[in-house]
Amino acid sequence: MTAIAPRREDDALLKPRRDPFLIILWIILVTFALVWIAPVVLIAFTALKSNAEVMATSAFTPPQEIAWNNFSGAWARGNFETTFKNSVIITVIKVPLGLMFSAMAAYALARIRLRFGKLLLLFFLFGAMIPFQVMLAPIFTLVNGFGLIDTYPGVILPYLAFGVPYQVFILHGFFKAVPKELSEAALIDGASHVTVFRRIFLPISLPVLAALLILDFVSTWNEFAMALVLLQDRHMWTLPLGLMSFQGQFSTDYGQLNAAIAMTVFPAVLVYMIFQRYFVSGLTSGAVKG
Amino acid sequence: MFNSKFMQSSRTQALLLIGPALAVYATFAIWPMIEVVFLSFQQWNGLDPHREWVGLANYQYILTNDAVFWVALRNTITWTILAVIFPPTIGLLLALGLNQQLFGRVPMRAIYYLPVIIAPIAVATIWRWMYDPFFGLFNQVLTSLSLQSLISDWLGDREIALYSMFVAYTWQYVGFSMVLFLAGLQSVDRSLVEAARIDGASRWQVFRHVTLPALRVTLAIVLVLSTISSLKAFDIVYGMTGGGPAQSTQMLALWAFMQSMQIFDFGRGSAISVILLLVTLTIVVPYLRWSQRDEGAGE
Repeated sequence: MTAIAPRREDDALLKPRRDPFLIILWIILVTFALVWIAPVVLIAFTALKSNAEVMATSAFTPPQEIAWNNFSGAWARGNFETTFKNSVIITVIKVPLGLMFSAMAAYALARIRLRFGKLLLLFFLFGAMIPFQVMLAPIFTLVNGFGLIDTYPGVILPYLAFGVPYQVFILHGFFKAVPKELSEAALIDGASHVTVFRRIFLPISLPVLAALLILDFVSTWNEFAMALVLLQDRHMWTLPLGLMSFQGQFSTDYGQLNAAIAMTVFPAVLVYMIFQRYFVSGLTSGAVKG
Repeated sequence: MFNSKFMQSSRTQALLLIGPALAVYATFAIWPMIEVVFLSFQQWNGLDPHREWVGLANYQYILTNDAVFWVALRNTITWTILAVIFPPTIGLLLALGLNQQLFGRVPMRAIYYLPVIIAPIAVATIWRWMYDPFFGLFNQVLTSLSLQSLISDWLGDREIALYSMFVAYTWQYVGFSMVLFLAGLQSVDRSLVEAARIDGASRWQVFRHVTLPALRVTLAIVLVLSTISSLKAFDIVYGMTGGGPAQSTQMLALWAFMQSMQIFDFGRGSAISVILLLVTLTIVVPYLRWSQRDEGAGE
């Protein structure tokens, strides 16, 4: 009995007059969202239809008989075993390593007094603003000079270099805002900066790291331009390169083409869904408020 | 407060912590940026051990003889202006809407953000297929609405191909601006908004005088990031039109790539890169100065 009374009060508070403005807004947003998701629905439906069904039915009719063999067919013809493996290896090495490097550098720049600290920070920040697609030729020349064309390090090292600046920028903003009291006591007790970084700063920055992990996973997984230049042997291709070639060869096999798109996109969507609850909050604490 | 030995060791530690990031960044990001300037003064096919120094010849050729360069420059500028206006505006409107207490706002946010996660090259593949003049979704929908007069060869018509591509680009990046604006909106003081509403301010007045000023920093970040990501539009052009038809959708980033990696004229390709780099710097450097000044004032 006692539990019911306050709830009624809550209801009365939470359900004020229906605001017509909000209702119209809601209708607009939902309509827009349906338009926005339409291409994704189209891919999902087409990926599950046989070619005959693609031709016979309209685009937004759900598949009648689910053609799973589109996926196995695309997997085999598109050389997905190789490209998928390459993408996984490159992403799984690059993303954690890059976050580690960035977090270490950001900590030092934010919490250790350095004579050129501010200049170094600007130097990193500068890199976050440069479109590297501008420099494909010299990157090729450099990696070629090291003899690393068509190797994993040859693509991971440039990926690291172009991922670091933005992450340093975000993490620096976050570390800078951490109250002094948290680290000072440990430092006075004789703990080293490395320990303070590992024991105090890494644990509290997990939400930011999760947000950066999403961004970095997605951009590494999807990267096309540099891979195009640095990975020329098709045994070293990543998924985006494989998809591009698949499109060129089998563009009229709509079911398989869409299955190929779905398989390329799916892992990134999965990682996003797993970590997305950290996403907006992580970005807020770092970039915008920082 | 600290003795000098401790300071020294903390400097060593700083070096250890910054070292890996700095080394990889300087070698693989900064050095190519310097190298591209050298390359732009040389004639080189990418393989020959000998690189000939030709001074400004590459620039001269591009600016006076390369008609495609001017098309690419005009397209890049058009693209950048569109990219700074449309995705951020739509993103801001969505963020303002989805910041309200609305039913289903969390799944709606996810839907608008979903295209950001999709590989640009996949976006190109999807939209190329939707734009197909015979089997594509757009012309099917127009036919079923009896609007046959509007049916076009979306990517094959030189007049509209660039704008067709831009629609796909907008579809992909609106969610990116939206998320940044949503994050920025969290810093708007709720009590201030409520106080203004109680005092009888209209929604527009609240937006104009409370919300918008609080979004100033976010706005700057979104505009700069939008500019930069538009300048590096590469994947989507490569995947949708390859610069065609007849180079009408060519862009600077793609043209630089083609000159170097397909025509094997590294000198001319690099000269185009340097021009694009200079364009970028004229936007980035003022922003960096502004943001540093801002930070200085805050301290």
